[in-house]
Amino acid sequence: MAVITISRQFGSAGEIIAQMVAQKLNFLLVNKKMISEKLHQYGISEPVFTLFDERKIRFPENENENDEVFETNYLHYLDALHDFFFDLAIRENLVILGRGGQILFKDFPPALHVKIIAPLKNRLQRVQKLYNLDEAAAARLISEQDRDREEYLRHVFGYEWFDLDLYHLVINTGIVGLEEATALIVEASLLQESTDIVSLKDVEEQLLRENIPNKVLDTTGSSPPFAHSSEEEFAKMLDFYQIKWLYEPKTFPLEWDSEGNITEAFSPDFYLPEQDLYVELTTQKQKLVWKKNKKIRRLKELYPDVYIKIIYARDYRGLLLKYGIE
Amino acid sequence: MNGEQNLEVLLTEEQIFSKVSSLGQLISRDYAGSGELVLVAVLRGSVYFAVDLSRRLSIPFILDFIGISSYAGKTDPLGIVRITKDLDTNIARKNVLLVEDIVDTGLTLNYLLKNLRTRNPLSLRVCAFLDMPARRIVDVPVDYRGFEMPDVYVVGYGLDHQERYRNLKEVAVLK
Repeated sequence: MAVITISRQFGSAGEIIAQMVAQKLNFLLVNKKMISEKLHQYGISEPVFTLFDERKIRFPENENENDEVFETNYLHYLDALHDFFFDLAIRENLVILGRGGQILFKDFPPALHVKIIAPLKNRLQRVQKLYNLDEAAAARLISEQDRDREEYLRHVFGYEWFDLDLYHLVINTGIVGLEEATALIVEASLLQESTDIVSLKDVEEQLLRENIPNKVLDTTGSSPPFAHSSEEEFAKMLDFYQIKWLYEPKTFPLEWDSEGNITEAFSPDFYLPEQDLYVELTTQKQKLVWKKNKKIRRLKELYPDVYIKIIYARDYRGLLLKYGIE
Repeated sequence: MNGEQNLEVLLTEEQIFSKVSSLGQLISRDYAGSGELVLVAVLRGSVYFAVDLSRRLSIPFILDFIGISSYAGKTDPLGIVRITKDLDTNIARKNVLLVEDIVDTGLTLNYLLKNLRTRNPLSLRVCAFLDMPARRIVDVPVDYRGFEMPDVYVVGYGLDHQERYRNLKEVAVLK
């Protein structure tokens, strides 16, 4: 069956183009979502897939038993993923996004290999808009994602990501519109071998909706569903001192996978609009809060203008003691 | 010291006297010739500090007091702060110096500042005997600061624990 592989720089809109091409040609789109839903049939659980998917894997220099297990799992994952691709290609026409498809199907005659690129300026603008990041955070994210893909290809296949010999088509979305890019790939595929028009704008808006959860709760009138009684107590305290607050009004994306799907996010408990301040309340024991601290460090890196304070369990107990509640 | 074994002195009487004196000189200098000054002491913790501070001022002033209720838990029937003792002085077009014993979360001070601002003072500043920025939730201005303190539970020199220890001449950590 026919195979189109699409390799893409982060922020070059390769995912949307892949989706459009698949829709126009009625091909099966093989992206992160699809793979994560199906790979368990090959003995790979979703957490394992998430851990290894298109990431550079660092093997520790001093090997021990755990590292060997890790490496074995990684090799097993790669075998399963590649078997999955080959099995699918026997039965279906595919659009494969990333994951070394251009090398796996390098000598597969009906395959069309495409690379989507864009100047950094365009990618920065796109990533900033898509994820509501400032320029520095967008640049960091682009750099991290591209480096991961580059190292994945080098490590797994021994190929350079920018080896242009690997591709039939290289499309620059800095100068070619998304519709044109989609049409070029479809035409190129039709030349080797067709179908309906779908609005690109609708697809892009749908992706935006899926990618950026941003719930806003109106706390006026009724109490929001607090996750913990300490949050309810804190809200009452703020009410007492007439300080306006919103409960979990915003979710900040912190990590994305290679297709731009959010894999980690953080929703601070409170936002005090008069102070333009987010407050995170944690009643976990100090030794258990490292994960939250890590998220907050990442949040500060990506959103340097966001002001957040953490009230740890000890601080909270101090508050209760101050007011003679405990 | 009150016969208590669970107190560790953080600030001695001498340290406090010296600091209050220098604060008095600084405030006297800053407000010299700038119109009427009203010292507003927040009941009850700041009374000891406010009285000692007022004795170190070399400028004329009016001493007044304000009291507000404290948060008492989510079962509090009223659920909002209320003024338990209001000012006797009209502070409109006067310089106001709010005198606090301790600024920690900033919740009380934030409310007081918002309340006093509605009375149109000529100026409104804050003098805190102790400042605990590590506990701050709401940012509030502290214009004159006695001592910056670590995040510990302190008593003495007006600060109490269940109405005890206010009369200590020192500031001590309650252990």
